[in-house]
This record gives sequence, C-alpha cells and structure tokens, in this order.
Amino acid sequence: MAIHSGAPRRATLDDAERPKLDQLRQALAPLRDEPGTTLEALYAAQDIFSYVPPEAVTLIAKELRLPESEVFGVLTFYSMFHRKPAAAYVLRVCRDLSCHLTGAPQVLHAFNQALGARVGEVTEDGLFETESVSCLGLCDLQPALMVNLEQHGPMTADKARALLDDLRARGAR
Amino acid sequence: MSLVVTKNFGNPQSWTLDSYRAAGGYTALARVLREMTPEDVSDLIKASGLSGRGGAFFPTGLKWEFVRKDPKTPRYVVVNGDESEPGTYVNRYSLELDPHLMLEGMIIAAYACHATLGYVYIRGEYGLAHERTQAAIRDAYAAGFLGSGILGTSGFDFDITFRRGAGAYIVGEETALFNSLEGKRGNPRYKPPFPTNVGVWGLPTAINNVETLSAVPDIMRNGAEWFQDLGRGEAAGTKMYCLSGHVAEPGVHELPMGVTARELIYDYGGGVAGGRGLKGFKPGGASSAPLTPNELDAALEPKSMGALGTIMGTGGVVVFDETTDMVDVAYRDALFFEEESCGFCIPCREGAPNLVQICERILHGQGTMDDLELLEELGASMMASFCGLGQFAHQPVRGAARRFREDFVAHIEGRPIPAAAS
Ligand SMILES: Cc1cc2nc3c(=O)[nH]c(=O)nc-3n(C[C@H](O)[C@H](O)[C@H](O)COP(=O)(O)O)c2cc1C
Ligand code: SF4
Ligand code: FES
Repeated sequence: MAIHSGAPRRATLDDAERPKLDQLRQALAPLRDEPGTTLEALYAAQDIFSYVPPEAVTLIAKELRLPESEVFGVLTFYSMFHRKPAAAYVLRVCRDLSCHLTGAPQVLHAFNQALGARVGEVTEDGLFETESVSCLGLCDLQPALMVNLEQHGPMTADKARALLDDLRARGAR
Repeated sequence: MSLVVTKNFGNPQSWTLDSYRAAGGYTALARVLREMTPEDVSDLIKASGLSGRGGAFFPTGLKWEFVRKDPKTPRYVVVNGDESEPGTYVNRYSLELDPHLMLEGMIIAAYACHATLGYVYIRGEYGLAHERTQAAIRDAYAAGFLGSGILGTSGFDFDITFRRGAGAYIVGEETALFNSLEGKRGNPRYKPPFPTNVGVWGLPTAINNVETLSAVPDIMRNGAEWFQDLGRGEAAGTKMYCLSGHVAEPGVHELPMGVTARELIYDYGGGVAGGRGLKGFKPGGASSAPLTPNELDAALEPKSMGALGTIMGTGGVVVFDETTDMVDVAYRDALFFEEESCGFCIPCREGAPNLVQICERILHGQGTMDDLELLEELGASMMASFCGLGQFAHQPVRGAARRFREDFVAHIEGRPIPAAAS
C-alpha cells in the first residue's frame, strides 16, 4: 500500500456511539472460535460504526484473543476499511488505465465540484465522499464506479451529477 | 464453437441451482463419484492440458496430484476470486452468472486431491458475486453436493467456507491470499515450500482461479481430447478474454486459447472506438507489456506472448487508439503498482515509486535520455523483488519505453507525440 501523507485517518467514538460497542461484542461472538476471522470482525465493526474506531480495534483484539497491534496492522493493510466516520454513500471512482482512458478524471472532477469536497472528505450532510481507487473489475462499464458495493457505469460527468440527485432522494440509510 | 465456461450465461436466472441443474449441472460430479478414482480425475485433467487461468498457467492436474500425494491432512482447495488486475473482469462474470459451475469444479477438485476443506475467497468489492456465491454454497449444501457423504457416497466429505477480501491487489498472489484467509495482513510468503505442500494453515492446498475450476465439469463430461482440441495449435481449451480501453464494444468473449488480438479486437470488439486507428494494446492486464499493431496477429496464449517479451496474463486486453500517449499509459501502470505494492521488500517498495517519478519527469518534459537507461537499470534491480508483483511491475513501463520509444523521446525533446502509423 502506498503510504498516504497528511493527518492520520483516525477518530474516536463519541458518547452516543459507545453503546454500540455492545452490539459489536455480540456480532463478534460467532467469530471468536473460528480462526482467521479478523477481516470479518473489522467488517462487523464497520457495519455498525461506518468505520473502525480505535475502541473497536481494542474490543476485537480482546474477543479474538489477538494482539491489538496485529488487528491494527490488518485494519491498515486493506483499503476498504475506514478509520474515520464514513459517508452514507462512498463513491469509489476507478482511476486505473481503462477508466482513465475513457473519462474517469472528468467523472471524479464532476463529483468533487458538485459536492464542493475533495477526495476523501465527507460532505457536511454526511451523505457523500469520493475515493479514487484501483481497478474495480468493472472495466466493461468504463469509466466505472461503485456506490458502496453497487456497480455504476459507463459514467459521464452528467450521469455523475444525476447519480448524486438519485442518491439524495434515497437519503441516508 | 463449444463454450465451456460461459455456456450458461444466457440462461434465465443462470446463477440459481434450479437453472444450473436444468442445464445439466452437477451431473459431472455425480459421474465422477460413481465411475472415477481421484487418480483418474487428475490424470484426465493433466491430459486435457488445462492450466491455471490466474495467469501463471501451471498444469492443473499436476497441482492436484501434488496435493493428493502430500500425507498431511486436512487438505484444502481454495478458490482464488481476488481478481484485481486492471483491465480484467472475467471472474466477476463467472461468479455473478454461474457460481455453481465453479463450485462443481471445486468439489471435483476436492475429490481428486483428497481434500476435505475449502475456501472461496472473493475480492471485497464484488458485492453481487458475494451474494450469489454464498447463496450457491447454501443451496449446494441443501442439495447434498457439499457436506458429509456427498451424494450418498461414504467417505467423501467436503466443507466450504466463504470469505471476502477488503481491497488489496496483492492478496491475489496465492501465499498472500493464505495470509488473508488466516486473518493477517496480505503479505506474500516464501516459496518454496509451495502451496501444494504448505498452503493455508500450513497444510497441502490446491489453489485455483475461478475460471480454471469452471472448465473442470465439461472436461469430465467430454474428455481430455475434446478440451485440448478447443484451443488453437498447441494451446488447450478456451479462454475468457475481456476487452476495455479504446475499443468499440467492451465485453467478455470465450474463445479458443490462442485467438489473435486482431480477431478479438476487430471481430469481437467492433474495432477501435470511433473508428480511429490503433496505436497498440495490452494483452493481459497491467502487468503485461504493451504491443504494437504489427503484433496484432500473434496468438493470445502464454508461449507466443512470452516470445514477444510480454505475458498472456489474465487475458484482459486493453486497447489504445492512435491519439494515446504511451508515456501516460506507462505512468498509469506505475501508479497502480506503487499503490498496490505491499511494502514488504525493498526492491519493490522503493522501485515502484521510482518508476512513477521517472514517468512523471518524462511526462512533464523534464526527462532526459538517461532516464530511459535508468528505467532499464531500475527494472533489473526490481527483478530481485520478493514476489511477482515487484518482478512484473517494471515490465509494462520498460516494454512501453522500448516499443513506443518515439513517445518517450518526443516528451524528452519537447515535441508533440507522434500519431500512430496505422
Ligand atoms: C501479484 C499477483 C497477483 C495475482 N492475482 C491473482 C488473482 O487475482 N487471481 C488469480 O487467480 N491468481 C492471481 N495470481 C496468481 C496466483 O498466485 C496463483 O498462481 C493462482 O491463483 C493459481 O490458480 P490457477 O493455477 O488456477 O491459475 C496473482 C499472482 C501475483 C504474483
Ligand atoms: S514484490 Fe512488492 S508486493 Fe511483493 S512482497 Fe515485495 S513489496 Fe510486497
Ligand atoms: S480499470 Fe476501471 S474498473 Fe478496471
């Protein structure tokens, strides 16, 4: 993984979110005795919090009986895990060759302009953030993107703006 | 032409058990269990010439024999569905449209390997593939194709666990995938020992690509010779090729292994987008060095691609029209490998960002002819990388600098990029 500069993407829980740690503890119960479930545990945390807060790393380490450093090491290795609160809709825009050749930069630009945000910044309403990601395996839909895990493409700048309207109409989930 | 791995794609609800069984699904497994020994199965696969579609083209039957002959138990079969090579989306189609075909092949592999446990590992981004594959596994259990005493046999038990990745190209490398399955960072491991002896959890493991396993049921039905003959010349079987970039119609095509790039791009892909001229193409994903229009008639199979100094790779063919700046293409590849280098070994961790910097210098008109020398030296040093990622990362950049040298020199000398010859 390339090492990204800038402030570490980390955030701790606020008081309202703390009770959710119990929810995570329950989600981890079936994973405790199955070896190799660290990624699934991190997904469980992300499903609950929208990201993996440090408190969740501590809890996962305790429940799965692993060193905290190992859980944190796994968290930082995989690009789909968030370390700060994520938007309701993460717009993962592919930046690799096929999509790049067919207009991905214009699509990303259209999103960021319409949202008034840069890559990785969550909009104030908490609805959107863009990511510029490696090939999504959707190259037949070039230029392609995913809204969370939903496939979209071929995209244009106009379709990108229309997609934002669609998603706003759906609202935060 | 006979289709092997895409034959069910057009069937209604093709991903469901009912649809798969209506198309004759799981009858190959039933026959194998009734009539064949594990040795018969691996011998037949060896004779068919089936080799790994993940890009290394290792003979599949031989791999299974190695696993069966290792006395350690339990043995594993692992499906590699991490597909993340830029320009490649064939496994996604298989997992979304025909997961049972892959599962039937996987169960036959388990029988041939005396394996009792398996994992299906799919990259984290393939949400629809996760849903359909998990449903397929559930339905296969309910129908008695998985679990203990499969199809009423005594003594053939096979259990599958589904796992998803979370975004990391390197995890497609087989030993990195084992680490990921074990819940660790996806760094590769030393080889040897090879996965056939020391795989997931240190146990003998047959790891195969989704497409490799999907070819197995029909080989069992129709025989080794039938499969052999589907390929061109010495190449065996069919291959799922996929098109993207400046091509009129991107898409997946199952064709004889060894079809030419000209046929694929012009007969099946509708030619270059907008009817423009062709500047070049990549035969198989980011790791493959690009070729020129003069090489359109080379066969897209491992040997001919190797002879041209590139690789067959994944069969993800990316097309470049006459307006393409090949320095920019090389730069995109370098950026990909810089992002996806796992950082475990120095030649790749340091080399990949160096590739990016050299490409950037040249693109921004600050390059010199010495940079072209430097690329060659850097490439040679990256050959010392720990795994295939670093060993391949420099090939597309050096390959572009050799075959499309005029583009590099034009940038260095501050001239416009020459238009393509064709
Ligand atoms: C950097 C790297 C990435 C790889 N990615 C994949 C992949 O996504 N899918 C795959 O099947 N094989 C991939 N491979 C090849 C695997 O290591 C392995 O050879 C393959 O899964 C074996 O299955 P097969 O024999 O059926 O091809 C990759 C290899 C390297 C070096
Ligand atoms: S070659 Fe690259 S990807 Fe492979 S182990 Fe070294 S740093 Fe990691
Ligand atoms: S290159 Fe964009 S999805 Fe593959």
